[in-house]
Amino acid sequence: MKLKNLSEKILRSVKSKGFKYIELPSVIETNHIVQRSGENFRKFIFSFIDQNGNELCLRPDLTIVSCLRYLENNFKGKEKIFYSGQAYRKSNNKKDSIIRDQIGFEIIGSKNEKIDDKEIINTSLNSLKNIKYSSGKLTLGNVEIFNLLISKLDIPKRWKLRLYRHFWREDYFNDLLKRLETNSDVDPTIVEIDKKRYLKMLKDDKSSIIAGRSIEEILTRFDNKIKDPRRTSKGKNVSKIIKEFLKIKCPINKAAQELNKFFKKYQINLAVDQKYFPISNNRVSKLNVIFSTAFGRQLEYYTGMVFKIDIKSNNKIKNVINGGRYDQLISDLGSTTQISAVGAALNLNY
Amino acid sequence: MDNIINIGIPSKGRLRKDVLKIFKKKKLTLISERGERDLIGSIKNKKNIKILYLHAREIIERLGDNSLDVGFSGFDLYKESEINNQKKINVVKKYNFGKANLVVAIPDPWIDVQTIADLEEIAFEFRDKKKKRLRVATKYPNLTREFLFSKGVTQFRLVDSLGATEAYPFTGSAELITDITSSGETLKANNLRVLKDGEILKSQACIFSSKKNIKKKGIKNLINLLSK
Repeated sequence: MKLKNLSEKILRSVKSKGFKYIELPSVIETNHIVQRSGENFRKFIFSFIDQNGNELCLRPDLTIVSCLRYLENNFKGKEKIFYSGQAYRKSNNKKDSIIRDQIGFEIIGSKNEKIDDKEIINTSLNSLKNIKYSSGKLTLGNVEIFNLLISKLDIPKRWKLRLYRHFWREDYFNDLLKRLETNSDVDPTIVEIDKKRYLKMLKDDKSSIIAGRSIEEILTRFDNKIKDPRRTSKGKNVSKIIKEFLKIKCPINKAAQELNKFFKKYQINLAVDQKYFPISNNRVSKLNVIFSTAFGRQLEYYTGMVFKIDIKSNNKIKNVINGGRYDQLISDLGSTTQISAVGAALNLNY
Repeated sequence: MDNIINIGIPSKGRLRKDVLKIFKKKKLTLISERGERDLIGSIKNKKNIKILYLHAREIIERLGDNSLDVGFSGFDLYKESEINNQKKINVVKKYNFGKANLVVAIPDPWIDVQTIADLEEIAFEFRDKKKKRLRVATKYPNLTREFLFSKGVTQFRLVDSLGATEAYPFTGSAELITDITSSGETLKANNLRVLKDGEILKSQACIFSSKKNIKKKGIKNLINLLSK
C-alpha cells in the first residue's frame, strides 16, 4: 500500500512536468536484449520459448522496451513519456529481489540535448520531493569527455577503439591498460612464422571465404597489425594519462576548471566550458553535487551525460535514481537513423 | 532403501575404463548380471552398494539432485553445470587421468588472429561491418560465455553443439569453437588452431560426492578407499 501511494505521488509529479503516460509490454523478444547487451546478459533474464519457437523474455529493464515501442511504432519527432511497472532480473546476490518496481521518464527524438538533460535531472529532483531523506549525493559523469580524450591520444586506432568499447567494464579496461603499458600484443617470433604463411596466402584467391571472413580481410588485418607502430614508452605514458584522468572527482562547480587544468598539464588540445554541465550548483535538494570522470562505467548503453542519486535515509545510503543519455540505443535496436534519447529510472524498492 | 549407496560410473569411453581400473586396484569386483551392457550393477559382497552406469554429464546432474551419492566424472563437466548444482557437490579428489583442456580454437588460416584480444576485435568487426554476431559452437556454453566475456569478447552468439564441433567453422554453422582436447591432434586435423591465451579450463577425472548424502552409513569409508 505504501509503495502504491508513493508510486502514485511520483507519477503525478512527473505528469505535472508535461510527460505522457504510456503502457509497455511485459514480454519482449530475447534477441533484442542479447543483441544489445551481449550473450552474457542472458544469465540475468527470464526467458522461454513460445509455441512458434520464438525466444521471449520478461522485460529486464523498462528503457529498452520503451525504445522498442518508439522504433516499432515508427514514431517521429520529440516525445516526452513516462511509465511505471516491474522489471524482472536474476541476480548473483541472493538477497536481491528478482522483481524491481520502477518509474521511468524519457525524452526521445529531441534536438535540444543540453536542455533535455537538464529537464530529466530536474524531473528526477522533483520526484525526489515525495521521498523522505536527510541528505544525499548527486553524481554526474559524461562518457563523451572520456571519448574525446581518447581521440586526442597518441596511440594506434585499434587501441582507441578498444578503449572506447570497454570503458564501461572496469576490470577488463584495467587489463587493457596493462597491455598497453607492456605492449604485450605482438609476439615477434610468431609474426615471423606467420609471415611465411602470409606470403603464401597472398597467392590465393582473395575472395574465397574461410569461416565467414575473406582471405582479403584476413591479409589486410594481418598487414595492419604488423605495421602497427608502437613504442612501449608511449603506451606507458598514455596509460598514465588515462589513469590520472579517471581519478578526477570534484564538486560540480569546479568540474570545468579541473578538467581544463588536466588537459593543459598533458598538452591535450581540449577545453570544457562549465555550461557543458547540466548543473553548476554544488548543492540542490539536500544533495551534494559531484562530478566524476570515472562514473558511468558498468552502464553500457550511456553515450553522454550520466547521473545517479543516492540518498541517506534511516542512516543507510540508498540508490534511488539512475539516468543518462543513450543516443545509440534506438539505432542498436534497428533504427536506420540515430535518434537521441535521455531518461531516468526511479527505483521504488530502495 | 536409505542405506543403499549409489555410485555413478561413466557408461562408456576412456573414462569408464580408467575408473573401472580403480575398482580393480582396490579389489572391488563389479558385477553386472546382464553382462557388460547392463546399466545397473553391484559390488561383490557389498550388498549396500549399487552401481549406475550413466553418461558423464548426467553423473554430475544426479549428484546434484542427490540420487547419486558418489560419482566419477570430468572436472570440466562439473564446472560447466549450473552454479546451484555445483554447490551441492564436493570434489573429493582429482585423479591423474582423463586430462584434457577446454580451449578456444579458430580456423588455422585466420593468421591475423593469435590472441583473444584479436578475437575481441574480430567480434566487433562482425557486428559493425557485417551486422552479424560471431558464432561460437560449443558443448560448454556456460564456461565459454564466462571466459569470453571476461576477456572482453562480448559480441558473440553461442551455437549449441552435441558433437563433431570441429567441423562447425567449415560448414557455415559457426566461425569458431570451444572444445575439450588432450593432444590437440583432432583440432589440427580439422584445420583449427588454439589461440595463444585460449585455455579456458584444465580438466581431469575426479571423484565427487553429494554433499547432502555424505552422512549415509559407510559412505565416508568408501570414499576414502576409492580416493586413496
